[in-house]
Parts: sequence; structure tokens; C-alpha cells
Amino acid sequence: MLKEAVGRSKLDWILFGAMLGLVLVGALCIMSAMNSISFSNSVVRTHVLALCIGAGAFVAGWSFNYQIYDEQWKALYTFILILLVGVLLFGSYQRGSRSWFVLPFFSMQPSEICRVLTLLVAAAFLDRRGPRIRDTSSLIGLGLLLIPIFGLIMLQPDFSSIVITFPALVVLLYCTGVNMFYLWLLVLFGAVAGVCTIGWTYIYLHPDLTQYALIKIFQQTSSNVLYMGGVCAAVALLGYGAWWFFRQLRIFLPSFYFVLATVVVLGGFFAGVFVDHQMKTYQRKRVEAFLAPKSDPQGAGYNVLQAQIAMGSGGVFGKGLFSGTQSRLGFVPEKHTDFILAVVGEELGLWGTLLVLGLYLVILWRLVMIGYSAGDRYGYLVCGGMFGMFFTYMLINFGMLIGIVPVAGIPLPFISYGGSNLVASLYALGVAQSVYARRIRS
Amino acid sequence: MPATKIFFNTRLKLLFFVACAACGIIALRLVDIQVLRHSYYLEMAERNRTQVLYQTAPRGRIFTSDGVVVASNAPSFSFYYLAAGRKDIPYLQQLAQDFAPKLGMSEEALTEKLTEGLKSGKAIALAENLSPKTTIALQELQIYYPGVYLLEETKRDYPYGGFASHLIGYLGSMTDSEWRRRDPAMNYRLNSKIGKNGIEKKYEAELKGEDGGAYLEVDYRGRVRRVIEDRKWQPGSDVHLTLNFAVQRAAEDGLKSTSTGRGAAVALDTRTGAVLALASAPAYNPNIFVPYNDADVSNISKNISEYNLAIQGTYPPASTFKIITAIAALTDPDFDPSAHVNCPGHYDAGSRIFKCWKRTGHGLMNLLDGLANSCDVYFYDVAARVGAAAIERVQRAFMFGRPTGIDLPGERAGNLYGPTKRARNKSYWFIGDTLNLSIGQGELLVTPLKMAQFAAAIASKGNVYRPYYIEKLVSNRTGKETQVGKPEILNKADYPASTYDLIWTSLKYTTDTGTARWAKIPGLDVYAKTGTAQNPHGDDHAWFLAFAGKPGEEPSIAVVVFVEYGLHGSSAAGPIAREMLKAYFGVDDMGNPVAQRQSLLTQENYEELLETPAGE
Repeated sequence: MLKEAVGRSKLDWILFGAMLGLVLVGALCIMSAMNSISFSNSVVRTHVLALCIGAGAFVAGWSFNYQIYDEQWKALYTFILILLVGVLLFGSYQRGSRSWFVLPFFSMQPSEICRVLTLLVAAAFLDRRGPRIRDTSSLIGLGLLLIPIFGLIMLQPDFSSIVITFPALVVLLYCTGVNMFYLWLLVLFGAVAGVCTIGWTYIYLHPDLTQYALIKIFQQTSSNVLYMGGVCAAVALLGYGAWWFFRQLRIFLPSFYFVLATVVVLGGFFAGVFVDHQMKTYQRKRVEAFLAPKSDPQGAGYNVLQAQIAMGSGGVFGKGLFSGTQSRLGFVPEKHTDFILAVVGEELGLWGTLLVLGLYLVILWRLVMIGYSAGDRYGYLVCGGMFGMFFTYMLINFGMLIGIVPVAGIPLPFISYGGSNLVASLYALGVAQSVYARRIRS
Repeated sequence: MPATKIFFNTRLKLLFFVACAACGIIALRLVDIQVLRHSYYLEMAERNRTQVLYQTAPRGRIFTSDGVVVASNAPSFSFYYLAAGRKDIPYLQQLAQDFAPKLGMSEEALTEKLTEGLKSGKAIALAENLSPKTTIALQELQIYYPGVYLLEETKRDYPYGGFASHLIGYLGSMTDSEWRRRDPAMNYRLNSKIGKNGIEKKYEAELKGEDGGAYLEVDYRGRVRRVIEDRKWQPGSDVHLTLNFAVQRAAEDGLKSTSTGRGAAVALDTRTGAVLALASAPAYNPNIFVPYNDADVSNISKNISEYNLAIQGTYPPASTFKIITAIAALTDPDFDPSAHVNCPGHYDAGSRIFKCWKRTGHGLMNLLDGLANSCDVYFYDVAARVGAAAIERVQRAFMFGRPTGIDLPGERAGNLYGPTKRARNKSYWFIGDTLNLSIGQGELLVTPLKMAQFAAAIASKGNVYRPYYIEKLVSNRTGKETQVGKPEILNKADYPASTYDLIWTSLKYTTDTGTARWAKIPGLDVYAKTGTAQNPHGDDHAWFLAFAGKPGEEPSIAVVVFVEYGLHGSSAAGPIAREMLKAYFGVDDMGNPVAQRQSLLTQENYEELLETPAGE
């Protein structure tokens, strides 16, 4: 009977409880982290306001039928573009990017909500492809659809949004059931772009390496047009060679595959070039700190080191709320936003960090379960996208603290201070609840 | 399974397992950081937030046996920079620019020090021992510069300057090797000052005390949030010397006024072996090291004489040795001390003529006259009869050729001179050697302290004491007293009382009528012997050996004065010994008791003195 009652519930209480738990931990830690700073009241007030708006967003996401997004995806798409163009036109310029709408009582970062909406749009697009999902055209179509969004975000620029959205899209595509070949291509694209960027950054920070001819050539490819042409020719030749090689082996693969692979590798290369040119010195320093964290403990590696000191000094049970010396005395940078986990670790100890990790895992688990109980394919895809998004957030935030991911300046949803992110994340879970509420009753 | 579910695949489930695996890895790493390496990170966090401004504890004081403070502490101000303060280079440059002239440093030097402090992440002393004027100027300036602090500390002060400098030693910064070998339990800091010589070095652990300091909680910019703990310093233990202030002072003043300014004067308590005075010239003033500027110290220490002539200078004892020859003669039952020997001014040793110091000769001499007039020929004759071996035996009884065993580094043993030693070296002993030995010349070498030990042994009728100069250590914390030096008889020179009586009589006679008339003080029994050591390289060295007591009492003090190139024992060294004896017994030239001429510094009036502003 009870199982039936739960089964008929319009709300996934487990997901709701996990979300509530995270929000509570977050609110406590923000209050603790802000305890010593003069604008503490303003931060806490803003957070409470964001929580109220977020609650509204959650209810909105939950009560609207999610299938509306599927039907009205074009309108949604237009709305995203309007928001992003609007912020470029009317947004305020803060800390090197034009990402904020300044409203009378608070500021809003439209790229946060766009992140969720983009996933909804992409899911809708892919859902509509139906059985043609394995075709190349779906992938190209999605690419063409999303390029304007990514382009507008790049213009702000807001890399962190892309860092989250891109993996979430890959997860979405994976769930949709696209041909694995294309997914590998996407991974290849990301890998080429990432390796090129990190390589160039490393050389930029260690100019003495250019004495080696190969490294010198590699470095030149990022700036010299002739060298870029050389890379294009080399990759094209390689693609042709592979095609020819397989033909000699009497393995007849569509030549189209080889062309696509070549194009993707080159695309990754130029994406890398683009990112490399956009990168600011502090971002290069972050990559440097990630590659060699001990090289400069006072400099770029300082943040991660201090965050780890905070976590490690917390021990199993932590120093208690409002008692963390590392965060209270300001050794942990960005303690209420990107490094909020360090505060959790210091004040609540291992139990605190494991609790947050566990609650995230619960959220991921519920998203999977909701996805499989969804009433239609669109619901399943929405859950897949959300899963990808939260999974990426979790990986990057924890990874950053334990030193396996470079510092990316990405908040941890529900926990970090940051109204737009909180609202968008609550809205995303609201949409998932909406899927749950309209699930197949079995 | 409803047909509508056809659109599902297992891919999301697969991803969930990936997520579980990722969470597992993250959890393991969290356990690693938060549990396994917890103590390491906790220590790092503590180091992050605490900064200590140390305050050097006052070192233990050093007193003479009569309660005079000869080493104490005076308040001083130091100027610190707390590295966690504002760190940007422009700020440091501004700081250096404003403070350098006040501190009397160059801007570059100050900037360098600031950068050094920045690197170490700890509070660093920019300047120490600041003058009151500088202190006031800095007090005004420091308000505008977070991160710099003016701290009251104590500095070593030697109120009597070079008083017993060779015994007391001096302080200096630690060298690299000293830093490496330091005792970790002592909590030394890089700018700690340690004893470099003498008592300051030897009793470093006891004198040091425990530094206090303010343990501050600072934020990431170095702003002080609160004081976690304000730990009061614990002063070190006091050292009480056996030295008699007046005697030591008389010895030092006397040596300073000699023509060459080089020499040594030692006074021992004949009943215990306690050192009443141990002066060596040239001396130095340990106060010059107190500014502690490393470069200065190494310069100064090049120029000062750490050479302690009293224990490191070895010279022939000359005529003072005739006492030994006399004792050796008295061991011979056939020897008659009253028998006369004619001194024509020379002695025919067969192959060579040995001269007496008095060319015209002394005429008929017995033992009493021989010692009183220090007649060489008499002792040549005696030595030739009793033999060198007997003299060597007496030397051994008084432990010649061996260190006195005083607790001072670098003491020289001197050289025993005798046929046995010659034989061991597979060489020959000639009659000339016997004659040279009898008057304390030749290869015989002693330190002034050795002779003082010898004089005390004669005065105590044979007790060869180990000299000691530290009576006790008194802890300022617990009041506990630790006895350090106690009387220790190294050897008993066992000769009949009649022998000593005869020697005493002769030496008294020498003082009353003979060569040692300088030491004659009415109202005191003074026994003395002079000596003039021939020096082939220049002027002769002067010796004066004496011991004295109140009439009817045992002699209580033995004094030996040595003046390098002093020419004559009686005229160069005698007056110094006389002053020392007068100081010891507190009498004037006529033997009348004198009041203390000046008030000496005890701890009480020393503190009063410090409170009166300078220049008054």
C-alpha cells in the first residue's frame, strides 16, 4: 500500500530531500564563510532571496508539463538567443566579462538559466529526430543549432558555462543513442582542443622549451597562419592515408567517415587556437598550477593548496560550524563560491564532504530512475541531460579540490553562493520532478 | 514491459555506474586528505594562522661572591616586521624608504631584510637595541604601517665592562654550524644570541631562559585578529662566581697600568682552591658585542684577544721555583738548611761558569738568606748536591707539567723539566740542566694559574686544589641552587710540617727583608717570592708569588702575578699583588681597615641605575 502511495506521489521525495539537504548545508556554510566579512549581511540576504526565487522556479518547473518545452522548443530557443544577445547589449561589464543583468535588487546571470534551457532545447531537437537519430544529419543539425548559443556565450565570455554544457550535451547525445562513432569524434574534438590549449599554455609559461625544434613548430601553429595551413594539410593527408590504408586491407568504410574525422580534428585544433587566443594570463596560471601545483605555492597553486589545507585540517568531524580558521581568516579564496567545499570540509569534516558527495549521488540516482520511469522519450532525454550537467558539476568541484581537475571557477550547485546558479539548478530539478509527476504508472 | 518504453536504452544506467565509480574514487581521496593526512594539514593550518612575536628572555645574571652584578640585562627595543603583513613590493619599498633613515640602514639593506622576512613567512627583526630617540620616532611611524612592530626586549649588559671578560665571555649570533648543532628543545630562533665564550658559552643552556612572546592569530593578509596567548618569558638561572670583586678589580687595574699591558694575575682561596681573581691582560669589553651586528662581531672578534694568558701563557717560573728546589733539598736528610754557601757571583760547574743574578755576589748564604735574596749560586750548590731527580719528584708532587684542572677551555699544561723525562726522550741530562732547573729556567714552563695553585698548596701545606670559579647556579624560577664548584684536592704534597714551616719562615723573611718587600703590609702575615724569568727574545718576565693571612691565622689567599716583559718581579708584579692583598683584606697601606671606597652594584641599585635617564 505504502509503495503504491509513493508510486502515485507527484513528487519524488527522495530527490526533494537530497536537494533540501544540500541547500541547507549550503546555506549554513555560506553563513559561516561570510561570518567575518563586513558585507556578510548582504551576501546572506541575497542568498535567502535567491532561495525564495529558486523555490518559485522549482515549483514552476515542477508544475509545468515538461512536454511544453518539447512542443515549444523553437520559442524556447528564441528566448535563449534573446537573453544572450540582451546581456551582450545591456549587461554590465564585471571582472572581464559581460555576463550580468543588473536589476534594482540583485544581479542576474542569464547564461546560468540558458544552460538548463539549452539542454531542454537540445533534448527536444534530438527527440524530434526520432529514428533518424543515428544519422549524421542529426548531429550536424544539433551542431548548427547550438553554435549561435555557444558563440554568444563565448562573446561574453563565460567559459565556465561551456565547460559544463559541453559534457552535458555529450551525455545527452549518448543517452539519445547516437552512433558511437560520432561520440568518439566529439571526444576527439574535445581532446584535440584541450591538448592543444594546455600544450600551448605550458609552452607560453616555459619559453625556454622552444629551443627544441618540434616544440617550436608546435608553438608556431597557434599563431602563424602558414603553420596552421601546414597542420590542415597534414591532417588531411593523414585522413586520406587512413582511407587508402583501409581500402588496401579490403575493409570498405564509407569515405565520409574519414572526411568527418579529418574535419573534427581540424575543428578541435581551431577551437584550441581560438581558446588559446582568448585565454587571459590568470587562466594560463591556473593551467600551470594544475600541471605543477607545488611549483609556486604562493602564486597560482596557492588557492588549491589552501583549500586542501582547509579540508585536511578539518579531519573526520571538522572544526565545527563558524570555527574554521582557514575560511574565517580568509586563507581559502572564493570560499563562499567556487571553494565552498573547502569550507564544508573544514567545518564539518569528512562527514560533511561525504554527505555532500552522497547527496549528489542520490540526486544522480533519482535522475536516472526518473528518466527510466518517464512517460516519453523526451522525459528520458531531459533527465539524461540533467544527469550530465550535475555529474559534471560534481566532478569538477570535487576534482578541483582533490587536485585532479584544474581550477575552473565553477560553483557547486545548491551549496555555493550565487543566486542565478541556485535558481537555475532548482529549476532544473523542478523540471525533473515534472517528468516524475507525469511518469508511467506501472 | 509496455511497448512505449522502446525508446529507452541502458546507456543512462551505464553512466550511473560510472558516476558511482567516480564518487568512490573521490571518497577515497577525501579520506586520504581528511583522515590520513589530517595532522599534516592541521599543522599547516595552524602555521597559517599563528604568528609569534618573540620576546627574548633576560639571560641569567652573573654575580661575584660578594654579590656584585657583573653581567645583567638592560631593556632594549627591537623593531620587527611580520611577514604576513601587506606583502606587495611597492609597500615594502615605501616601508624601506620611510624607515631606513630612522634605523640608520641603507634602503637596499632594509629592502633585502624585508624580502628575506617575506620569504621566511615569520616575524623578522629589522633592527635591535634601538636608542630611546629612535624608539620614539619609530613609535610614531609604525602606526601608519601595518606589519611592523616595536617590541621591548632585554639586552645583555656588563656594568663593569671588561670585568673578568675572559671568564665571562660574550654573546653573538649563531653561526651556520651552531644553528645546525643547536638543541631543538631549547627553542632557538635564527636571530637568537648565544654565548660565544667563557661562562656565557659554557652555561648557555642555564643562562638562556625561555623566550616569551605574543602568539597572534592573523588573517591571510597578516592583520592581527586576536592574541591567542601572551606568554611571559622565563629568565635564565643566575651564576654565582667565587670571584672577589675587589681583588679581581685590583688585579685588572694593576695589569692595565703595567708598562706592557700584558700579564696575568690569579688569586686563589688557599683553603678551597676557589678562584678569587683571575685576570688576564689584554682583556676586552664584552659590551661591544651587544649591538650584535653580525658583520661587526666578526670584525671585532678578530681584533679582541680571546687569549687568556693566565691559563694559556706558559713561561719559565724563574726564581719562584726556588721554593721547590728548597723543598727538594729539605727531603735530603744530609741537607742542613743553616749551612752556609759562599756566593762570589758565579758558580763553577766545571765545563761552564753559571752566574748569579747579582754579579758582585751575595757572600755567605744559608737557605733563609738564599731564598730572601734569591741567590742563584746557593741553589746551584744545593741542586748539585741533592740532584735533579729529587727536584723532579717535588715538581711531580705539586703536579707540574699537568693542567690545574680548572673548568676552562684551552688550558695549557706547561712543561715538567727533569731527568726522568729527558731519559724517556732518550736524551742526556747534564749538570747544566740541574743548575738551570734549580732556578726555574730552562725547559720548565708553567702557566700563571699553575703557579697560583702551587702557591696555594704551599700555603695549605701541601694541598694541591683544583681551582674553580663558579660557586653555584640559582634558578630564578624555582629558586633551586645547584652547587657547581667544590673543593677538590688533586694531590697531597706530603712533606713534613717542619719543611713547610721552614719555607714559610723563609718566604716571610723574603717579604720582610728580602726581594719581596713590595708585598709587605703591616698587620698581615705575607709570604712572598719574586721571580724574573730570563727571556732570550726581549725583556725579562716578572713573577710575583705570595700568600697571606691575618696574624695567628692560616694564610687564606694565594696570589700570583705575572707581567710579560715586566723586567723585575718585585717592581713590576709586586705592587699588583700588594693591591690585590690589600683589596682582599680591606686594608690600606698601613694595614688599617678601609671602608668600601665606592658603592658597588648589587642587583637592587643596578635596577635603580637603569631607571635614571642617561646623561644625568
